[in-house]
Amino acid sequence: MGGEAYTFKLFGLTFNATNVISGTIIFVLVFFVLFGLSRHLQMKPKGGQNVIEWLIEFTNGIVREQMPASEVGNYSFLAFVLFAFIFFSNQLGLIFQIGWNGNEIVRSPTADPVVTLTFSLSMIMLAHFAGISKNGLKHYFGSYLKPYAVMLPINLVEEFANFLTLGLRLFGNIFAGELLLKLLGQMAFSHGVPTILVSLPLEIVWQGFSVFIGAIQAYVFVTLTTVYISQKVSAEE
Amino acid sequence: MGAIAAGIAAFGAALGAGIGNGFVISHTIDGMARQPEMSGALRGTMFIGVGLIEAMPILAIVIGFLVMNK
Repeated sequence: MGGEAYTFKLFGLTFNATNVISGTIIFVLVFFVLFGLSRHLQMKPKGGQNVIEWLIEFTNGIVREQMPASEVGNYSFLAFVLFAFIFFSNQLGLIFQIGWNGNEIVRSPTADPVVTLTFSLSMIMLAHFAGISKNGLKHYFGSYLKPYAVMLPINLVEEFANFLTLGLRLFGNIFAGELLLKLLGQMAFSHGVPTILVSLPLEIVWQGFSVFIGAIQAYVFVTLTTVYISQKVSAEE
Repeated sequence: MGAIAAGIAAFGAALGAGIGNGFVISHTIDGMARQPEMSGALRGTMFIGVGLIEAMPILAIVIGFLVMNK
């Protein structure tokens, strides 16, 4: 159970094999879970269909709260997929941590800042693109001068701050959770039985709390993405 | 040296997170006491607020971990 370095390989570019492997596991897992839950759809749902209907209702509610009514249909699917993917990614590192030769192979993909900043950048770029394609370039550039023209630097800094905090919030929560799990594990095996007895309840409590934090952070990420998209997309009179 | 830096970072993080979350949750409890029928919506917004506020303190803790052994 090493944890110090990440494996990487080079084909002219550096690839982070840990992220690739963990991300592929998440793709396969999310696909098979959602595929399995959505077979044999009936009018009166029972069993797995209830779960997936509840999840879709949940993410639809997030979008319905934040977006103007004409745009809800466009983004509810995005919110659902984003929530499912980020939720499963956050929980993977609490179930599996596979290491090999002192490097890590499987952990939460979202415990890497590159992955979370990629998510955040894609969502912010989606918001800008949706704003331009719906309201036109003139309205988009005009929106930077919106309350007063002198607010231009503040609006620009706000865009960067949104991008950075959206990504780094997810990274910080998940990385700190996993790091503390590893430190508790090291403490447990450092001095024999007494430290094991002390660390075991702490580790259990922290695992439970990290499950909760993973769910909350997925919800916050999806809500903030929806808020940013709706800010760019809602036309102002 | 790294341990002292980590200690200062953790001090700032704990202070910030405690006070910030304390404000949000206490006002949520006030709101729930005034209008018990709104407590579902208030609870959801409280979790969003806590998730937003905890971003910076958690980054401070991550920095503390990174410098702890230097």
